[in-house]
Amino acid sequence: MFVQQLINGLALGAVYALIALGYTMVYGILHLINFAHGEVYMLGAYLGIIVMGVFTLAGLPAYSLPLTIVLTILISMAFCALYGAAIERFAYRPLRGASKLAPLISAVGVSIILQNVVMLTQGTEYKNLPPLLPSEGFDLFGANVSPVQAFILGSSIALMVILHVFVTRTRLGKAMRATSQDRIMAGLLGININQVISITFMIGSSLAAAAGVMVTLYYGVVHFFMGYLAGIKAFTAAVLGGIGSIPGAMLGGFMLGLIENFGASYISSVYKDAFAFLVLIITLILRPSGLLGQKALDKV
Amino acid sequence: MKGDRTMKRICAYISVVVAVAISLSACQSQQQNVVRIGAAGPMTGDQSKMGIDLRNSVELAVAEWNQRGGVLGKKIEVLAGDDQADPKQAVSVANKFINQKAVAVVGHWNSSCSIPTAKYYSDANMVMISPATTNPQFTLQGFKKVFRVCGTDDQQGRIAASFALTSLRPKKVAIIHDKTAYGQGLADFFQKALGNGAEIVYYGGIVQRDPDYKAVLTAIKEKKPDVYFFGGIYPEAGRLVRQAKEVGLTIPMITGDGVYDPTFVNISGKAADGTYVTFGKDPAGLTTARSFNEKYKKIYGEPGPYSIYAYDAANIILTAIKETGSTDGARVAEYIAKNTFQGAFGDISFDTNGDVAKAPYVVWQVRDGKFIEVK
Repeated sequence: MFVQQLINGLALGAVYALIALGYTMVYGILHLINFAHGEVYMLGAYLGIIVMGVFTLAGLPAYSLPLTIVLTILISMAFCALYGAAIERFAYRPLRGASKLAPLISAVGVSIILQNVVMLTQGTEYKNLPPLLPSEGFDLFGANVSPVQAFILGSSIALMVILHVFVTRTRLGKAMRATSQDRIMAGLLGININQVISITFMIGSSLAAAAGVMVTLYYGVVHFFMGYLAGIKAFTAAVLGGIGSIPGAMLGGFMLGLIENFGASYISSVYKDAFAFLVLIITLILRPSGLLGQKALDKV
Repeated sequence: MKGDRTMKRICAYISVVVAVAISLSACQSQQQNVVRIGAAGPMTGDQSKMGIDLRNSVELAVAEWNQRGGVLGKKIEVLAGDDQADPKQAVSVANKFINQKAVAVVGHWNSSCSIPTAKYYSDANMVMISPATTNPQFTLQGFKKVFRVCGTDDQQGRIAASFALTSLRPKKVAIIHDKTAYGQGLADFFQKALGNGAEIVYYGGIVQRDPDYKAVLTAIKEKKPDVYFFGGIYPEAGRLVRQAKEVGLTIPMITGDGVYDPTFVNISGKAADGTYVTFGKDPAGLTTARSFNEKYKKIYGEPGPYSIYAYDAANIILTAIKETGSTDGARVAEYIAKNTFQGAFGDISFDTNGDVAKAPYVVWQVRDGKFIEVK
């Protein structure tokens, strides 16, 4: 049972980690909590179902199921990258010089707009995706690792490695880190700040979209309100790991997934959601900067 | 000059106000020329199909009555109320119906919505017939104008338990529920009816609308039960059976009428096969239901599991209004309590609580994605 719960928790945690990365990257650069991020994840899940439906009509899954899934994820990621860039361009950039509260309220507004657009165009009921992958997987120390779980773990770790290499090894990644350290100075040294911020939003949104499609494959249901709770949980994960820190978001996501699963199985399944927020409160009291976060220095 | 213009403006305002008042009073007098019936259930949200099925059936019944000239010489109008399966919304729907002077209501669908609203309808002298509320508490609150045309959860729990004990013979049983009045109530009745027949190795609740139930399913698997019971509705049941297979829990689920819907199979695919569901007899085989089935199919498509119950509930109310020649709730309720009605689902009469006299439950099983009656 322990191994099974470990695997369940890691698969759930991988999804949280992918969403949390978007929160933490945007916060690192803009010091803005992008409350519309959960909605981008929801859009990614809906796009996943729609693209999958189109492919099914075209007969692609019969030809190659893995190809269908990978293509669906890539298309959904591309669309959501555009959504992310557009949200930044129209809702946050005009408010960049304003007080910190203004973009935050704008983010809440975008979140409400996106939820309602999806509700009006897609309806209020659950949309279903029948199980595509078999539920019996391989046996690991007496636990069943289903193909979807293996796929979620594998692909999300791959995405995180790619992100890490991108941020630490490329010129653009360096520009991103420079912008997050000191936006004005980076601009003076010739970095195109607006472009870097746009790209940050695109990367964060496409990771959320990947998480959305994976969740759709995993649970088979999407709903216009699903971004709300997932967004808050991912935000919790980002704070747990230390908001602004990329490795912190990954660690926080996995930890949160494990805490929820072990809490639900060993303590009480009724209070499953409460464990996540209990952890958030304890973190904020004991270590406000998170597990891997740096102490905020007062800028002179 | 200026004073003159002001006078003119005041006159114009007054004439507008008078015109509005006259047209409003015209509406008022028109209102008394219709008989209004409420149809209440979840019409948005994940249980929306159930509320929409309910409304469709009431509209179908009313359309037939209107074709025959209405009731008491008046046209009948259906008011639809969406309670979103939420008790708070349900109460506001009840108040809306009362303000619009509805004479009776068919609904609500969820037990957690019907139980609190019964008092509001009763106080407003309205008859309430629920087509789907199965929690026994609903009719045990002492209101004389409250009825149901479906069975109750204690009957259902007894049938599920006796089926489990005689046909499946489990040594260990796990029980979960969705923490609602319906789900937890049903789970408790099942547990009570099971008695000492099997050992209960797990009992717990799950969170409605949570996408992930793997933690609780893995905990159940650990206890090695032979069968597990779920008190709840199809969206959760669909996710449960699907994820059960993924954590390697292969024992069958037994569950109640809230899961009897094709959406359950759509969510879970092949994982739904083998699930046992207690539900009423199949109306497709009843000769009395033939005309209802044909008409419903023509207008709204395939009838839902509770469509026929809602249709009968609406017909019972309208028949009672016609026979008593009154829309007075107390008199209509008295007539309903004392008489037997020929419904599409067969003859319906009520006991002193307002429950149907004979419980209609049988056990069904999902086989190849279809609900099949277990003989």
